[in-house]
Amino acid sequence: MSDSQRDVLRVRDLSTRFFTEEGQVNAVEGVSFDVRDGEVYGIVGESGSGKSVTALSVIDLVASPGKITSGEVWYRNPDLAEEFRAERPDAVRDEFVDLRRLPKGVRRSLRGPGFSTVFQDPMSSLNPSLTVGEQIAEAVEVQRRARANPRSTRSRTQGYGLGKFLVDSLVPGRDYTGEESHERAIELLDQVGIPDPAQRAQEYPHQFSGGMLQRAMIAQALAGEPDVLIADEPTTALDVTIQAQILNLLRDLQQEEDMSVVLITHDLGVIARMCSRVGVMYAGQMVERGSLSDVFDDPVHPYTQGLLGSIPDLENPAPRLQPIEGNVPSLLDSEMGGRCYFADRCPKAMESCLHPIEMHDADAGSDEHEARCVLTETDYRPEEALPEGYFDGGDGDGGGGGRETDGSDPEAREEEVRADD
Amino acid sequence: MSLARFLLKRGLQGVFVVWGVVTVVFLLRFITPGDPISVIAPLDASPATRQAIAAELGLNRPLYVQYLDYLVGLLQGDMGYSYISNTSASARVFARLPATLELAVAATLVAVVLSIPLGVLSATNRNEPVDYGATTFSLVGISTPNFWLGIMLVLLFAVEFGVFKTSGRGITSARALSALATGNLDVFVSWLTYITLPAITLGTYFTALITRLTRSGMLDELGSAYVRATRAKGLPETLVRYRHALRNTLIPVVTVLGLQLGTLIGGAVITEAVFAWPGLGTLVINSITGRDWVVLQGSLIVIGVGFVLINLVVDALYAYLDPRVVSD
Repeated sequence: MSDSQRDVLRVRDLSTRFFTEEGQVNAVEGVSFDVRDGEVYGIVGESGSGKSVTALSVIDLVASPGKITSGEVWYRNPDLAEEFRAERPDAVRDEFVDLRRLPKGVRRSLRGPGFSTVFQDPMSSLNPSLTVGEQIAEAVEVQRRARANPRSTRSRTQGYGLGKFLVDSLVPGRDYTGEESHERAIELLDQVGIPDPAQRAQEYPHQFSGGMLQRAMIAQALAGEPDVLIADEPTTALDVTIQAQILNLLRDLQQEEDMSVVLITHDLGVIARMCSRVGVMYAGQMVERGSLSDVFDDPVHPYTQGLLGSIPDLENPAPRLQPIEGNVPSLLDSEMGGRCYFADRCPKAMESCLHPIEMHDADAGSDEHEARCVLTETDYRPEEALPEGYFDGGDGDGGGGGRETDGSDPEAREEEVRADD
Repeated sequence: MSLARFLLKRGLQGVFVVWGVVTVVFLLRFITPGDPISVIAPLDASPATRQAIAAELGLNRPLYVQYLDYLVGLLQGDMGYSYISNTSASARVFARLPATLELAVAATLVAVVLSIPLGVLSATNRNEPVDYGATTFSLVGISTPNFWLGIMLVLLFAVEFGVFKTSGRGITSARALSALATGNLDVFVSWLTYITLPAITLGTYFTALITRLTRSGMLDELGSAYVRATRAKGLPETLVRYRHALRNTLIPVVTVLGLQLGTLIGGAVITEAVFAWPGLGTLVINSITGRDWVVLQGSLIVIGVGFVLINLVVDALYAYLDPRVVSD
């Protein structure tokens, strides 16, 4: 790794669980990935695969009954590292600090200048009863006040209590956000390509279209000049034509501001277009990761292969798209055995898949291509394949249905196997 | 649509509502048993006497003439003359109105001051002792009958401790407030000894209701996507809670407050009875039992107008809190 490719974020073995009445749900389990300076890192997976919870865990916004149960989130910040080196040696490593070991106030102070987020649905992610400009100005004001009080990062989010709030709300002419912040908010709206920004800043979210609102969300996320912008399905709620505009905007801003972007999406096309490296998530685990070409051109994990096989190829159209049979497992702790979670839907499940699987180096050519699959170590041996209906158990759907379809079309299956060998 | 146009539209709607109320109230006399002549005439009155009374009251004219006459009278502030109480109906009604308004406003104030902070505290400390205390209080408050609570408060604080007065109104609130302004604290405190117990009695149900509403609204808002986004941009929790979540929580709260205040204008009959409070509620009951039609009609119209006016104020508040109301 050269100097220009320094990491800004290193997530290690992050696990987040939800403690519900039905039992413990392992939404994120042992996820690790690195994000480099100025790159767009993609996290892709189906709904329910844990990608959004991963993002929320990084910024420490997992809501009850969810809880981060283990793992480390190393964030490169030389100033913080210096500040805590003596006090919390276990939380500091070179220029990195482990966010999970830092006090809550410090973690909170990094929202904005460290990390900011663009959420999926801009309509519900902005407060309907405040103007768009006011909401962006708030994000600017937080950082402006933090800079005005630079004693230490810890004091940043303190010192604004109920008393000050009441004075600011009740005394005419006083407000939390100042004139400067409003001006900066208009600049930001201009930067994300909103026409007539001074006028639009005074409008409410319901007066914006979806695409314009997502631009405003991005403007709000830029307010703190973040090191890492986390974009959680930023285009999913938008029309296709608007999606392209928003993606272009994100890429332009990423290059202008030289920030890192973690792009979370279920859309492989978005990943292919935007990302330099990618992690594939399934059932709360990262099952394959590597550079874009590693994962897209040379996938090892059958899940990744299935995902890529389920998108239409315009140059060599297949007679039928190949869906991945079955459904994502429930992630309930009690129902997750110590095995590869994909085994029940995997066309290449073998007896060796019935043990917990670790991340392995996936190919000799690339040192960052890894997959959580036995096929990284061995070739597929049909004689060790699990018998049909092995995972059927009592409920009779899911994996079993998949097996049957596979069985009815043995040629296709064989061909797929050959292609992968 | 501007705020002024919005309010103008609502105001015009209100005029039609009032007109409807007046019409129904006018017709009420003709569809309920008993006629005004029998109430006034002696039991053994001859048909000629009865006719003379009808002519005197204008009851022998066609219905539409009586209706128009009544409407014109109302527009001039004349609600008719009550032969039973031997005074004009408006004099009776407006003599009672201040007491009712005073009690309604006091009860609402008690409710707002207690319930909103309690609801917020409860929501932000979910499943902690404060929350359990607040939810228990609101459950008890909602299920306690007014008359029992009133009597218990009188027994405890008026009879046993002698802190408050058992009944009556004392001086008017206007005089009490001017006494406070001029530093005449004794007068103000004596006014408080009259109004405190009825206000608490009437306000308890109200407080309990709004506490629940605030708590559940606040929990909803705090779990919403925009609150998460607001936290993600690093805003201090004070602002997340009060500038964002509470403001949106207040939208339904204001609606319920307005509706409740509207019903209080109709008079809190039971509370007024317990504390012998000279309000509209007792007047309405007395005029029904005494067949004092003119006073009953006048009271109902004043109550209707009050309800419409309060709703107008609620609409204005609503438009202030939720910009979508005005622009749609």
